[in-house]
Amino acid sequence: MAMATGTTDSDHNWQMAASAGINTISDTDVHNIVLSYLMHNCFKETAEAFLACTGMNQPVDYLVDMEKRKTILHSALEGNALKAIELAEQLVPNLLTDNKDLHFDLLSLHFIDLIRSQKINEALEFGQTKLTPFGDVHKYVEKLEDFVTLLAYEEPEKSPIFHLLSPEYRENVADNLNRAILAHGNLPGYSSMERLIQQTTVVRHFLHQELGKDGPPPFSLKAFLNN
Amino acid sequence: MGGLDDDEPPAKRLKSSSAELRSLSNSISLVVPIGCSGDTMARPLPSQGKEDMVGSKGVIKRVEFVRIITKALYSLGYERSGAILEEESSIPLYSPVVNLFRKHVLDGNWDESLSALHKIGLVDENLLNSAAFLILEQKFFELLEMDRSVDALSTLRSEITPLGINEKRVRELASCLISPSRCVLLGFSNLGIDASNSRHKLLEALQRFLPPTVMIPERRLENLVEQALYLQKESCVFHNSLDSSLSLYSDHQCGKDQLPSFTTQVLGEHHDEVWFLQFSNLGKYLASSSNDKSAIIWEVHEDGGLSLKHKLVGHQKAVSMVAWSPDDSQLLTCGTEEVVRRWDAQSGQCLHIYEKTGLGLTSCGWFPDGKQLFSGVADRSICIWDLDGKEMDSWKGQRTNITSDVAITEDGSQIIRMYRDNVIVLFNKETEMKKLIEEEQTITSFTLSQDNNHLLVDLLNQEIHLWSIKDDPKLVNRYKGHKRSRYVIRSCFGGIEQAFIASGSEDSQVYIWHRKSGNLVETLPGHSGAVNCISWNPSNPHMLASASDDHTIRIWGLPIKKKAAAAAAADLKLNNGTCSNGVIHLCNGNSK
Repeated sequence: MAMATGTTDSDHNWQMAASAGINTISDTDVHNIVLSYLMHNCFKETAEAFLACTGMNQPVDYLVDMEKRKTILHSALEGNALKAIELAEQLVPNLLTDNKDLHFDLLSLHFIDLIRSQKINEALEFGQTKLTPFGDVHKYVEKLEDFVTLLAYEEPEKSPIFHLLSPEYRENVADNLNRAILAHGNLPGYSSMERLIQQTTVVRHFLHQELGKDGPPPFSLKAFLNN
Repeated sequence: MGGLDDDEPPAKRLKSSSAELRSLSNSISLVVPIGCSGDTMARPLPSQGKEDMVGSKGVIKRVEFVRIITKALYSLGYERSGAILEEESSIPLYSPVVNLFRKHVLDGNWDESLSALHKIGLVDENLLNSAAFLILEQKFFELLEMDRSVDALSTLRSEITPLGINEKRVRELASCLISPSRCVLLGFSNLGIDASNSRHKLLEALQRFLPPTVMIPERRLENLVEQALYLQKESCVFHNSLDSSLSLYSDHQCGKDQLPSFTTQVLGEHHDEVWFLQFSNLGKYLASSSNDKSAIIWEVHEDGGLSLKHKLVGHQKAVSMVAWSPDDSQLLTCGTEEVVRRWDAQSGQCLHIYEKTGLGLTSCGWFPDGKQLFSGVADRSICIWDLDGKEMDSWKGQRTNITSDVAITEDGSQIIRMYRDNVIVLFNKETEMKKLIEEEQTITSFTLSQDNNHLLVDLLNQEIHLWSIKDDPKLVNRYKGHKRSRYVIRSCFGGIEQAFIASGSEDSQVYIWHRKSGNLVETLPGHSGAVNCISWNPSNPHMLASASDDHTIRIWGLPIKKKAAAAAAADLKLNNGTCSNGVIHLCNGNSK
């Protein structure tokens, strides 16, 4: 690839160089990237419409699984963690026994739901029966303590562990659940879009380290989109 | 009960109702500001007419004095006496508010105890909250013990956490809710069996947050007495006896009679100048070495007499020093620029000879693990062997002529040796750091204290210097008075807690200084030649041994009465057999 010189904007230089090679990317690849994103995030109707527009072939059984996965994830995100657990076990038996971390995280979501709805004594009982057994394993002890500490505060959002109540935390757990289910179906844990962005970030990071200000700046998706 | 008001019939005083007592106490408490403001002094009721202060110096406040005595009575278990004293003196141990507080805590009335706590009037909010935290914690744990985890949780949520302190502890308490084993971990077990005991402990812990005027610290009287005893001990210059001899009846003052200052034995087995001696680590044996090319192991008997155990022959030159193995089972002897021999102390057999071809050895010593030994070499290096004679290491030479002394700390971490004529280096094997002791004069020898924190350094200019070596080396004290001009004269630590320094001298006397003050406390004549070396028995603070050019070794002990002395002398003769030259000198310093 020819190195563009003579302009002061190094990012622009690299873009110029990259666009020189862009003609090797086919439409089919792009469509696959979009479809993978839609499937990963269970946008069933959008995926169906997209398939119809582009005339691509649908992967086998993908619709069925996607519907079920969608329900499971929504349950987890919308405060029905127990249902999510039940459905997940139905879809993929032994999913949670094989993924103890995930199991703990999902149970903790239910614990948080109980606390948020001020059902304190229920939360205590749930903690004592369902979460305590995890305490035997050393790596869960600190996490367990974090959750139990939530019980001690009448205003948990003012406690040191308030981040456990945040939507980011829930989304994180839901993502992990999604990945676990996908992995079971031998599907990739990250959509190709995500992986492309990850790649770019890493490559730019290395280049930036190697070349300093002669190279491109570290990748920022926000900046990229605003450009 | 006498003293107060002799007109009042005894019965009246005995039946002093609690209401009366309370009103008395109340009037006192009005006068006593129970708070954190420093100076509190109750004015006694006018009817009593006693002084505010007690004691000849007028520094002891009556109220304080009586209260700590009362407290001591209670903690010694004399409940009735304590109560009577409170009544008779009209000085209550605690104000009514505090009494109520204590009662509620001991009875487990938590809410009441908290409100009582607030009434005590702590000014500092932090202290108040910390105290409340402790009380509520006790409530929490007691609830858990009774399996009332829901109530415990509500205590945590609504009472403990809102105090807004000690987040870490809140977290730990929360974890106790779901994991009972954590309670044990946090040291809170067996509550059901011993609730009252733990409540007492709670009171003790609470005392920390309350000013001492409000709630007198535990064992205050005992502490004061211990302070006094300690000061007495510290200022006792001749203190050389066990702490059990400290009595409260009279001020402690050792007389010189605790120092070994009388010759109890003269050992004359050597045929020439005796250059070195050293008691074994446990003090059961003494080893000496002489210009007569031999070394002798002496046994120390129960009655304090010594007898010859083994004469170690074999060296071709004068034996300059000996060294006991850390477990006292073996002895090293060093010939002057010759070889080092290792002997079995029990059998007297020579187990090994260490030598370097072409080079004489000048000193010897053990590593703390007893598995290696070192020796100074004539080329000024230090050679290290294992027991079988295999050379393990060699340290390069220093530039000093006079001594090849080496000392190693008991944990093996520091090596102390000469660096220059006037400089000692302390080398830390683990950190590889070097510390230096720099003197202005040439150093002739040095000794390490038993606790390895101090080094005693003998100097050419007739001074002995004590250095602290725990952190950066610091000169702590100097000892002077003895004479040294031509030879190596060694000094040593000794006595109870190594509180004394002893040294030989070229004027034939033994010198003893008080270590802390540096004062010369004893000079002991008796020898008729320079005293080269001295050793204090590590397990008998009343036994000292000195080695002299007059071919003898003197054993010094406590002065004993003449009659008993004669009896003792007879006993010694019987026990020893052919040991000494048969004459027991009980001199107080004038004979030869």
